[in-house]
Amino acid sequence: MSEYNVINSRASRIDTPDKSTGRAVFIDDMSMPGMLYGALLQSPLASAKILSIDTSAAENLPGVKAVVTAKEAGLVKYGVSPARYDETLFCHDKVRYVGDEIAAVAATDLETAMEAVSLIKVEYEELPLLLTIDDAMAEGAPVLHEKYPGNVCAEVHQEFGDVEAGFKESDLIKTQTFRNKRQDAAFIEPQGCLARYDPSSGNLTLHSSTQVPHYVQRTLAMVLKLPVGKVRVVKPYVGAGFGIKAAANPMELSACLLSMKTGKPVKMNYSREQVFMFGRARHQFTHTMTTGVKKDGTLMALKHECYLDGGAYSSFGIATVYYAGSLLGGPYKLPNMKYDGYRIYTNKPACGAQRGHGGVAARACWEQQLDIISEELGMDPLEFRLKNMMVTGDITCNDLNMSSLGMRECIDAIKEGAGWDAKKGRLPKGKGIGMACGFFVSGAGYPIYRSDTYHGTVVIKLTEDGGTALVYTASAEIGQGSDTTFAMIAAEALGILLENVRLESGDTDFGVDLGAYSSRQTLMTGHATKEAAEDVKRQVLEVLSEELKIPAEDMDIKNAAIVFKKEKPDFSAMRTRYIKEHRGWSDNPAEDDELSFREASRIAFLARGSIVGTGKYKPHELGGKFKGAAVGTSPAYGCSAQIVEVSVDEETGKILIEKVTDAHDCGRAINRTSVEGQMEGSVSMGLGEAMYEEVKFDGKGRVINSDLAEYKIPTSLDMPPVEPIIVESNEPNGPFGAKEVGEGAIMPTIPAILNAVYDAIGVRIRELPLTPERVYMSIREKEKE
Amino acid sequence: MLLPKFDFHAPATTEEACQMLTELGKNAKLIAGGTDLMVNMKHRLISPEHLISISGIDELTKLDSSDSVIKIGACFTVADLAESEEIGKKLSALRTGARALGSPLVRNLATIGGNIGTARPAADIPPSLMVYGAKAVLKSSTGERTVSLDKFFRGPGLTEIQANEILTEIQAETPPPYAGAGYINLGIRKAQDCNLVNVASFVALDGPDGIIKDARIVMGCVGPIHLRAPSAEKLLIGEKPSEAIFAKAGAAASGDCTPIDDFRGSAAYKKAMVEVLTRRTLGLAYDEAKYRG
Repeated sequence: MSEYNVINSRASRIDTPDKSTGRAVFIDDMSMPGMLYGALLQSPLASAKILSIDTSAAENLPGVKAVVTAKEAGLVKYGVSPARYDETLFCHDKVRYVGDEIAAVAATDLETAMEAVSLIKVEYEELPLLLTIDDAMAEGAPVLHEKYPGNVCAEVHQEFGDVEAGFKESDLIKTQTFRNKRQDAAFIEPQGCLARYDPSSGNLTLHSSTQVPHYVQRTLAMVLKLPVGKVRVVKPYVGAGFGIKAAANPMELSACLLSMKTGKPVKMNYSREQVFMFGRARHQFTHTMTTGVKKDGTLMALKHECYLDGGAYSSFGIATVYYAGSLLGGPYKLPNMKYDGYRIYTNKPACGAQRGHGGVAARACWEQQLDIISEELGMDPLEFRLKNMMVTGDITCNDLNMSSLGMRECIDAIKEGAGWDAKKGRLPKGKGIGMACGFFVSGAGYPIYRSDTYHGTVVIKLTEDGGTALVYTASAEIGQGSDTTFAMIAAEALGILLENVRLESGDTDFGVDLGAYSSRQTLMTGHATKEAAEDVKRQVLEVLSEELKIPAEDMDIKNAAIVFKKEKPDFSAMRTRYIKEHRGWSDNPAEDDELSFREASRIAFLARGSIVGTGKYKPHELGGKFKGAAVGTSPAYGCSAQIVEVSVDEETGKILIEKVTDAHDCGRAINRTSVEGQMEGSVSMGLGEAMYEEVKFDGKGRVINSDLAEYKIPTSLDMPPVEPIIVESNEPNGPFGAKEVGEGAIMPTIPAILNAVYDAIGVRIRELPLTPERVYMSIREKEKE
Repeated sequence: MLLPKFDFHAPATTEEACQMLTELGKNAKLIAGGTDLMVNMKHRLISPEHLISISGIDELTKLDSSDSVIKIGACFTVADLAESEEIGKKLSALRTGARALGSPLVRNLATIGGNIGTARPAADIPPSLMVYGAKAVLKSSTGERTVSLDKFFRGPGLTEIQANEILTEIQAETPPPYAGAGYINLGIRKAQDCNLVNVASFVALDGPDGIIKDARIVMGCVGPIHLRAPSAEKLLIGEKPSEAIFAKAGAAASGDCTPIDDFRGSAAYKKAMVEVLTRRTLGLAYDEAKYRG
């Protein structure tokens, strides 16, 4: 059994009572006295010059309290990465996509605000539209941003080792192209916020459905020109984000500006259509990969070129274009890798980061290619992968250190779990089995802005009466279960029970935490939590040491009781003192009880005042000195392998995913149920991207399927049975050995489906999604050949 | 998204509803389940000043299968259709269609009348009803008429229903012995989907091992309205049922349809799927017919 008392269990989530009873407060549940409602004017055109903006009719509408445009907001450039700040809150000279923000209105109710928006008159002069990469890269194409000629938002050119030399030594070289489609993360809760500016103090508080209170706080301060100390961002419960909510959005900035103008709280929400209009989810990637191997299956070199359809602004795009290359460095031993990546501006909503940031389509392309190669070599795809697999301690050609890597164990687990040997190559036509691997960072090694900041700080304070540890973290619970994870880590490290912990999170007043992105919180916030808990424990034991005259190192705290490692001292005087303070209380300790944590923490308070412990974390110096090395380096990497079983109706092209066997190495599992939840959620998202999902546009750049009826994510009926297998390694850089599961788990899903479909019908499909029509047409084309 | 403003009326009887409809005329819309109407109103595709709810009218929510003519009230919900044993016994393909519609939440609200009245060429309910030769009862303050579903649809969103009429009931004859039907809808995912192609087929045999004496095939998503497949039907009548003849009928049906390319799929794919689904639904219909003595 587990050597731990709290972690590594299936503890119930601490937010379960709130969420199951409907008590949990999300933005939409919030209101404040005197609150106004805001609405945005967003461009109906994808590319146009703004000739004039007339807000007078809107301003004169009864109930309207403020109308703001670029004139009021100013033109401070912002974005995600300071190297590519290319957005202003409102457009002033031109609009670059359908949805680009032009103005915002605050009114006494939403109907009035929306009516006012419709009364704002904007004169446009239409400009040529660039809706595809080909359009945007064409000779003489107009530019979206003056600063970026050729509409190249970012390009990456990297070579590790010597790819040409690697190809010379190869016996087999294969080239394939692959394309995914623009995604929407389809989180359940559209973005929403409630801003409250207090004119008397100059304090601004923004409640927002965000993954990153910290970055939002900094962006608000910068764009609205407020002292950062006056800006507070608070995150209520959030209905997921998947990367799209990992930066400040124009609605948050507008709500704050409107609150500053009116002195009243201002609430704003995106409709589902606006969620699609705002975009910032997964890019469309077009990958071309050439891989060389020796006859014995040894991987020699990968040459990789990728084009990203970026949309109108950078958002996370620079990181995305780097990740698309760097995340192929592992988990296989690959001595030579060359990457050329281009992110191109187009007149569509900006794309950004989504679960598996930058690496998902690349992984899908390559893992399918690895299957093509293993087939030509006559090797079992699983054995081929095992042959090239890295092990703990290996470092990739692009300097990613696999400080723990349970890849081999993952493959062994799915092989047995799915009964691979009995099925591979033995299934009837129309049925198939496929596998793939993947890995991902456990937190970006560097913050988004250049800084020596700690990535997370945590404060734990013991209640003065003893018995409860209050954990304060600015980290973001967005549905993934991080609050429970940190409460469990705090309880484990302090030696108390989970029920002795009360946790508050998601508030910039609680400290610095970079937030819920890049699968960072369990490792990074987890470290800070553990350190804070150990700090508190040390202080309590120090006081006990003084009072009982025993060295602190001879004591410990476990299961909320003091453990005396040597002879048990006489603590009756201490207990009497405690009981005297609590005359008439019914829950005082009995004479024979162990010395409780509650008594000890009360005694500690009496000796020292409030007991407060602090913890902090930032990664140690990570490898890679080349340009772009910051994207992909991480203190640790989670990894996974999946086997997918499918059946294909060859007459209709319809695929049925029958079963997924999924193993993930998350280091030490803090909460086993939450780990499995992330694994299953990843399968669902990967399955949707593989099978159904595509954001579609008309010829004018308008999204034509901006709702969850026509943008199809898997329903519960579409989810196959998933057998999640947790593989635990002991990550030296993780708290209690823990690392990520939130994003790495999605990596193998798409290629495993592609490989299973090939196994079923003998056709390789190089474009997503695998709609019945695409599969049907691919089968018919193959028949013609 | 916000609903436009409207007045809500909840008449207690069909007569009252007809009266209101006559008085309010074009400014009024009927609402039953509202699963289509509410969405269209939120999108501001329509903004009626009045909504007349007919879902509270008792007689419109009844199923009467005591007679050889099965009568289904227009406000009978799709969820009830999907669970009805009577429907399963007598009009099994209709139940299959009901089970394919939307999701449990949508089925709880959606009504049989609504699924017909909205006249979407991809709808799940009309093909089965049409192969069973069903009729719609239309009532107004001045009278009542019955229209065969074959003549009911006029185009996407357009039907025979006049501005002063209410679709109150669907009527279908209990199929004769040795008759059966099948329905298949093909979509992207398993629920909450808009069909790519859907087909219902009906065959009546002149005995357990007999020839096909009657056949009806209705195809969805491949024309402005649900289409019959006349050349496929003709080819079946008088023939002995077999995989081969069903395949021939499939190919003929594919020639009977007129799909267009749209963002959901190409015309070529839809035509090809009509062929497959026609063959398969004929197989289902025959399987049922053989044993329905």
